[in-house]
Amino acid sequence: MRRPRPLWSLLLVCALSSTAASAQFGPLNSIVSKARSAQKIGEGLRSINEQEEIKIGGDLAGMLLGAAPLLDDPAKQRYLNTLGGWLALHSERPRLPWKFGILDSNDFNAFSTPGGYVLITRGLFDRMRNESELAGVLAHEIAHVVRKHHLQALQKGLREQSLSEMRNYFSVSTGNGIADRFAGALLSAGKEMYIRGLDREDEYEADRMGVVIAARSGFSPYGLVGVLQTLSATTDEKGYGLHNRTHPLPLDRLVWLDAAMGTRFDSMQGLVDDVPSFVTLRNPPPSAAPPARQIKPKPKRPKG
Amino acid sequence: MRNTRVILVAAIAMLSWTAVQANERGIVIRAGDLFAEPFIDAAKLGPLTGNQPVTITERRGGWLAVEVGGRRGWVRMLNVRLEAAPRPGANTAAMRTGSTGRTVATGVKGLDEVDIRGASIDREQLARLDQLAVSESDARQHAVQDNLKESRVDYLKPGKVK
Repeated sequence: MRRPRPLWSLLLVCALSSTAASAQFGPLNSIVSKARSAQKIGEGLRSINEQEEIKIGGDLAGMLLGAAPLLDDPAKQRYLNTLGGWLALHSERPRLPWKFGILDSNDFNAFSTPGGYVLITRGLFDRMRNESELAGVLAHEIAHVVRKHHLQALQKGLREQSLSEMRNYFSVSTGNGIADRFAGALLSAGKEMYIRGLDREDEYEADRMGVVIAARSGFSPYGLVGVLQTLSATTDEKGYGLHNRTHPLPLDRLVWLDAAMGTRFDSMQGLVDDVPSFVTLRNPPPSAAPPARQIKPKPKRPKG
Repeated sequence: MRNTRVILVAAIAMLSWTAVQANERGIVIRAGDLFAEPFIDAAKLGPLTGNQPVTITERRGGWLAVEVGGRRGWVRMLNVRLEAAPRPGANTAAMRTGSTGRTVATGVKGLDEVDIRGASIDREQLARLDQLAVSESDARQHAVQDNLKESRVDYLKPGKVK
C-alpha cells in the first residue's frame, strides 16, 4: 500500500472547506461585492464633481485649522475675504464658495485646499510690504485651486483606495465605517501633501497665473515678485522651514517669473501697490508703537 | 522738559524705524539703465553694471528706487536681487506670542511638519471659516472703494530659462 501524501491531503481539505464557505453565504453576492470593493479609485479623483471637491477641501482645511486656529481678529478676516473674493472673481472659477482665513501662527506660509479654501498665516500677513504683495500670494493660492493641483497630488496617494469607499464618503455625512476608511486615507494623503509640497511645475504655474490674476484685479503684478524677493533674502530658517521645504527656491521662482513676465506688464496703467484700508489694518511697527503712546502728556498736578 | 525728552525718544524711534524700513539692500544682477522715473520710457541717468550694490529706498509697481554709487534713480525690480539683511519682524518669529488665548504663555505657535502630522479636523474652526465668506457684491464694493480697476489680461506662457 502507498503511503498518503501529506501535501495533497492538506490542499484537498482547504479546497473543500472554501467551497463550503462560499455556498453558505451565497456565491453570487459575494463575487459582486468583492469585485466592487476591489475597484480602485485610480484616476477617479479627476472626475469628482464640485460638491465632492468642496467636501474634500473642507476636511483638509479643517485639518490645517486643527494645526493652527483662526486668528481672532474679525476685521482682518473680513478684509481678507473681500480681497480674496475680488481676486477669485478674476479667475476661471469665480462661482466657487471661496473662503479665506488667517491662521494664528507666526510662521510664514500660505495654503489652499480643493473647492476654494485659502489659508495664510498671521506671520505672512504681517510681513507684507503692501497690499499688492498680499494680493499676489492669495492669487497664487487661487491658481492652485483653479488648476486642481491638490487633486492631482492627492491622486497619487489615494489611487489604491477603494472606489466604493470614496462614494460612501461623498454620500454619507459622518459616522459610517466605510466612509470613515476613505476619510482616514484622505487625511493622511493630505498631510503628506502639505508636508512634501506640490509638484514644482505646479508652483511655477501658480506663480505665472497669480501675477495675472492680480493684474486683472487692478493690482501690480509685481507684488508676488516682492514677496519672493523677501523670501530669497531671508536667512532665518525659523518660521520659514515648512514653506521652504515645500516650494522651489525663491531665486529659481524669480528667474522663471522674470522669464515669463518680461516686459508684458510695462504698458498697464493705474495698477495699485497699496491702499489706505490695508495700511490701517497692518500692525503698527513694534519699535514705533510703545513710544507713540508715551507722547500723551500727563495731567498736570494742581498747584498749591 | 520731561515731555521734550519723551518726544525726542519717540522721534528717534520713528527715524530708526524708517531707516530700518528703507534699509533693504540689493545687488544688480543684470546690466541695464538707471532711470529718472519708474517708467520704461523715462530719461536714462546712466548705465548700471552687474554686481553693483544698491540701497532700496522705495518700491513702486515693478520698479525700485535705489541709491547706487552716489546716484539716485529707478531700476527694474527683477534686475535686482535682494541681499540677506536683518529686517523688522524677522526676530518676531522667535517670540511667537499668542493673541487668542488658546495657547498659554509658554506655547510655541509654529506651523510645522509636526503640527500637521499631529492635526485632526477641527469642525468648529471649519464652521467659523465657512462663515467668513463674503458675497460677490461685498467684494465688488470694496474694490470700488479702493479704486481697483479690472483689466483683461491673458495668462503667461512659461518663459525660457538658460
